[in-house]
Amino acid sequence: MRLFRRFGLPERLLAVLLLAALLDFAVNSFLFERANTFVLRQDDAERIVENLVLATRAMERTPASERQAVAAALSSDRFAIDWTPASSRRAGSVSLANLREQVLDIEPGLARSHLELHLEGLPAGGNIGGSVRLSDGSMLDFRTHARSAWKLTAGRLAGLTLPTLLLAAFAWGFLRATLMPLRELIRATRRLGSGLPEPLPERGPDELRALIRALNSMQQRIHQSMLERTNTMIAIGHDLKTPLARILLRIDDETLDPGVRDGITGDIQEMRLLLESIQAYVDSGGSEIPAERIDIAVMAETLIDTAADHGADATYSGETNLDIMARPVSIRRALGNLIENALHYGGNVRVAVRRNGTAAEIVVEDDGPGIPADRIADALQPFFRLDTARARDTAGMGLGLPIVERSVRMEGGTLDLGNRPEGGLRATIYLPLA
Amino acid sequence: MPAPKILLVEDDGPLRTLTARALRQSGFEVLTAATGAEMWVSLREGPVSLVVLDVMLPGTSGFDLLRRLRRESDVPVIFISARGSEEDRVLGLELGADDYLPKPFSTRELAARVGAVLRRGGTDTAADDAIAGPPPDCIRFDGWTVSVARRELRSPTGAMVDLTGAEYDLLATFLGHPQRVLGRERLIELSRTRMGDSSDRSIDVLVSRLRRKLQAAGSASPIVTVRGVGYMFKAEVARS
Repeated sequence: MRLFRRFGLPERLLAVLLLAALLDFAVNSFLFERANTFVLRQDDAERIVENLVLATRAMERTPASERQAVAAALSSDRFAIDWTPASSRRAGSVSLANLREQVLDIEPGLARSHLELHLEGLPAGGNIGGSVRLSDGSMLDFRTHARSAWKLTAGRLAGLTLPTLLLAAFAWGFLRATLMPLRELIRATRRLGSGLPEPLPERGPDELRALIRALNSMQQRIHQSMLERTNTMIAIGHDLKTPLARILLRIDDETLDPGVRDGITGDIQEMRLLLESIQAYVDSGGSEIPAERIDIAVMAETLIDTAADHGADATYSGETNLDIMARPVSIRRALGNLIENALHYGGNVRVAVRRNGTAAEIVVEDDGPGIPADRIADALQPFFRLDTARARDTAGMGLGLPIVERSVRMEGGTLDLGNRPEGGLRATIYLPLA
Repeated sequence: MPAPKILLVEDDGPLRTLTARALRQSGFEVLTAATGAEMWVSLREGPVSLVVLDVMLPGTSGFDLLRRLRRESDVPVIFISARGSEEDRVLGLELGADDYLPKPFSTRELAARVGAVLRRGGTDTAADDAIAGPPPDCIRFDGWTVSVARRELRSPTGAMVDLTGAEYDLLATFLGHPQRVLGRERLIELSRTRMGDSSDRSIDVLVSRLRRKLQAAGSASPIVTVRGVGYMFKAEVARS
């Protein structure tokens, strides 16, 4: 089995074909062997001989011009005859040697008429066919029905279909076995880049192993380059913060015009938010901080209360208390981002926290325009902004939703984004209960 | 009363000068140090009320300095950091920093944090002189726990329960005066509420929100209304 696993795809296919051919050969040999030794029950054989002898004699006495009509008249359902003037015989592929012996034993005279017996093709009326040569060289073909010959016919049918069936079965099993690691590969590829690289075990045929190896090293490279990207982002952030701190302290000067000072303070505030969102995005990729027990219902309600205190149209409904295990800062930021987005794009926000089986379900809704269905996946991409006109009316770098998604995933939860049928966006977070 | 003496450890020269100026403007006396070594020299020369410590210093990191500092002194420490990651903040507080201030910060923010930490240490010791012992780290009531240093509330199930700044201040006020009726005006004054408009109505809203949060698991809230007078915190309060 191990050797089979090491085979490549072409070798496997070849092996299956060879197996099918071998099987075909074995079944046919067996069938010919069976046909050669096939004999009929004595009364069946005698009936055939009797009919054949009578038909032959009648034909010999009939002039050639009427032979076809007579042949038709003599034919019955059980014994059909047909006369051809040519000396060519209609022969089957499976000849019945032992049956011929049996027939000749009963009527040795038929040997002179060059009796030939064979198993009929499948669509024909009877199942045993044969021919004899008349004295003028023309041929008399006949077909008859022998009860015990069905076994041969069945064997023949099996001989025709069995290799095909087996070939199909083999191909199916083989493809399944081959595709199983491929399916795992697809699953793994979907997860790829969403966390630490997890090398896949190398399985399946050589080509697949090579693919898995390539994918594993690609995982490493992607991880490396993401790490570098994050480190670069963080380094830029750090290096910017010290000069920003200087500016902020420098403008605290009475000689400065208050309008200018407020303007600069606002600009720095915006830069600070951008840098914080980068930090949050990086932090949501993985954390050394252990999860702790938090009351998610109170957390959501507190965020809503604070928003309402600032004059926003924000309402809360659902549980009063619901405990989950999570990192409070990252989950609070995730909820905060969703609430902020709803207020910014929808003008209002409704949050509900409910218990749903073993999960906490947190729904954040607004009555805004929602997100076009084909852009929802894009909205979860970092640095992606839906307002294509680059209307910079929002402080942010297009990291809001990606931070939510990553934070939720870090806690083993899921984020669902969708448009409500009544209009507006609905974000649903599921987080495992404590 | 002399101005509190603050030691500022910051390696960036211009930022050190600017931060020192900001602290002096806010009425503090400031010593400066550019490295960990300079910090030790300054500390040997005389006691300081508070250390403002940059996390990223050439040579030793601020975390290492804090670890060593905590071995010999309980002087309050405020971390300032350009990193601002949650892990940094948690590590800093775990090592015993009293607060964590991410860069960039304004003069006002810095002065407010320094003032708050000094006041916390000061009032706690003053209040505890009567009860004796070190300032409380944990306050317990009815199975609930308040972590003073982290300004965190945990429910009887051990879950962290979010409080806004104003709600925390209000709870701290109640915990400082258990089993005593507090009038609305007194509550507003004591909790120095951060709500912009501290009218009677907003203190009532604040109290009702806090009361709802303390009502977990169907038990009665420890805050009761005393009609026409104000509110009372009726639970037994234990400090440790």
